[in-house]
Amino acid sequence: MSINVAVVGHVDHGKSTLIGRLLYDSEALPGDKVAEIQKLIEEYKRRFEFAYFLDSFEEELKEERTIDTTRVLFKGRNYYTIVDVPGHKEFIKNMLTGASHAQIAILVVSAPDGVQEQTGRHAFLLHMLGIKKVLVAINKMDLVDYRQDSFEKAKKETARLLSSLGYSEVKFIPISAMEGDNVYKPSGRMEWYQGPTLIQSLDEIEPEEVSEKPLRFVVQDVYSIDSEKITVGRVESGILKKGDELIFQPSGVKGKVEKIKLPSGEVEEAEQGDSIGIVVGCEVNRGNVGGHPQNPPTPVDSFLGEVVLLEGTLKRGDEFEMKCGTKKTGCLVGEIKERINSETGEVMGKDTGEIGENEAATIIFKTEPLVVEKFSEMPELGRFVLARKDKNIGAGVVLEAKR
Amino acid sequence: MLDLKDLENRTIYIVREAYAEFKRPAVLWSTGKDSTTMLWLCRKAFFGKIPFPVIHIDTAHKFKQMYEFRDRIAKEWGLDLVVSRNEEALKEGVGPENGKFECCTRLKTQALKECLDEHGFDALILAIRRDEHGIRAKERYFSPRNEEFKWDYKDQPLEMWDQFQGLVGDGTHMRIHPILHWRELDVWEYVKQEGIPCNPMYFAKNGKRYRSLGCKPCTFPIDSNAATIDEVVEELKTTKIAERSGRAQDKEKTFTMQKLRALGYM
Repeated sequence: MSINVAVVGHVDHGKSTLIGRLLYDSEALPGDKVAEIQKLIEEYKRRFEFAYFLDSFEEELKEERTIDTTRVLFKGRNYYTIVDVPGHKEFIKNMLTGASHAQIAILVVSAPDGVQEQTGRHAFLLHMLGIKKVLVAINKMDLVDYRQDSFEKAKKETARLLSSLGYSEVKFIPISAMEGDNVYKPSGRMEWYQGPTLIQSLDEIEPEEVSEKPLRFVVQDVYSIDSEKITVGRVESGILKKGDELIFQPSGVKGKVEKIKLPSGEVEEAEQGDSIGIVVGCEVNRGNVGGHPQNPPTPVDSFLGEVVLLEGTLKRGDEFEMKCGTKKTGCLVGEIKERINSETGEVMGKDTGEIGENEAATIIFKTEPLVVEKFSEMPELGRFVLARKDKNIGAGVVLEAKR
Repeated sequence: MLDLKDLENRTIYIVREAYAEFKRPAVLWSTGKDSTTMLWLCRKAFFGKIPFPVIHIDTAHKFKQMYEFRDRIAKEWGLDLVVSRNEEALKEGVGPENGKFECCTRLKTQALKECLDEHGFDALILAIRRDEHGIRAKERYFSPRNEEFKWDYKDQPLEMWDQFQGLVGDGTHMRIHPILHWRELDVWEYVKQEGIPCNPMYFAKNGKRYRSLGCKPCTFPIDSNAATIDEVVEELKTTKIAERSGRAQDKEKTFTMQKLRALGYM
């Protein structure tokens, strides 16, 4: 499978240019894509920009800014799905959409500008999303004459920001996406830097080891096919075997797995990521989570979460829809414990009554019985989306779930 | 190579989400390799039989082999096939020679609109992929369309972790894109692995083959000697030519695809 890499950072620090450069230098682009862009820049009387390989909307070209996330596949030592995200504050939801599946992030910081508003916000969101592996590309080195002191200054600022969010041992690479230094090809213009290029650094990152986790089977639906009831869903963690005793929550029903059906036929066991159907001798519904009785999923009626709000305000006592796994349920904002500046991660106030757009907070949610897990232990059931009138307006992770 | 099992698992998950969340879904089938693969995956998601209608938008300008293939597969797979044509536009003589943009919009988009109105579908499963076109790369898995069929690409939903957003406000139907994350090469590797039937036009004859199938007047073959699936897979591993290079509607003018899609084109 490909590794998802999100390229994040402040507007105009060169995210799309970096990805365009990567594709261009690695010769990963179809020949007529280059011709298409040539035609386009003649038509619009623009100079050539590497970002045009990514930015596809007319508005993106005219305004020279990325509006929505896009992704391209890139082959290094591994396959990487490189996710471009917009750097404008107004497009945070598109940034989150792009970054939510990332395992690695490249934080782009302009050498002449240093840490800016969205540098901080994107870094905070990476931390919240649990993206542990971060590389920093100090970009636009061509604009500071490839000087080491400029690199060190931007590096120091960024390191301070990242360490306050819990990131240590982060690699910093001086690059120029515009000129192609240290992106795909090593630079001959920075003798003071002996480290790897950006793509080499990406290739050096070791994939996280998957630890053994208890079974969680999320139920999507129940189909009646040829007088057989098939419960379909996805194994989010652990292993499910034919003959296993299962308990489903929050309903509490128990059953035995008689069959595990893949579309291609019956199998003896299924593992994490498998979309399967099972025949199990009990009534199950969409939104249920199945597990083994010795390590069962446990429903809670309140938990502590950290959220970022993308639209409107969120007040103590407000009601929202909460989506976790395939369960959709009502929830109530119990207490807002900390109001957090999503630009810095700093706590702006304790026990406050309200937070606003683009702010973050730690909140005690009260819900109808709901299976959640601590995000750090089982991310698949430790993350949720908040909706108001069916519209997704915020996202969060579970910090603490009391049994 | 990407892991076909992972691709399949995720697609089946998305198809089942769509089926659970919408009252009246349907899947769109052009008879091309992607949408035929999409039908195959739908059959797998429901253990054999697709429990909703399959729509074919017939522009009356398709290749003969496409109609033959459609009718054969529809029978073999027991599809609930709905064929939709914009007869009025055809009577008026709408065709590519009088403007390609209007032709695509009326014979495809308008025909689809009428089909949706007539049958009341609230979700359409489509086999578009990100690597086909820069505009399609910007799509969501669940992508809402409003009353005028418009795609509000400047304000797309927050879509994190497989938490898809349903219809909101004036949304009339949802476009569902379960193979958005597949590449052209993955589709062919999967076709090969699964033995999915394919229109013979994809394979080279006399040094030419079709890489992407559309309407006859606006679709052109590429130079190729790939006469088998294995040869097609090999060709795709090294080619520098874009998949839709033989499709006129992408090429005519800059941003044509964006404008077509904003109006509800697939």
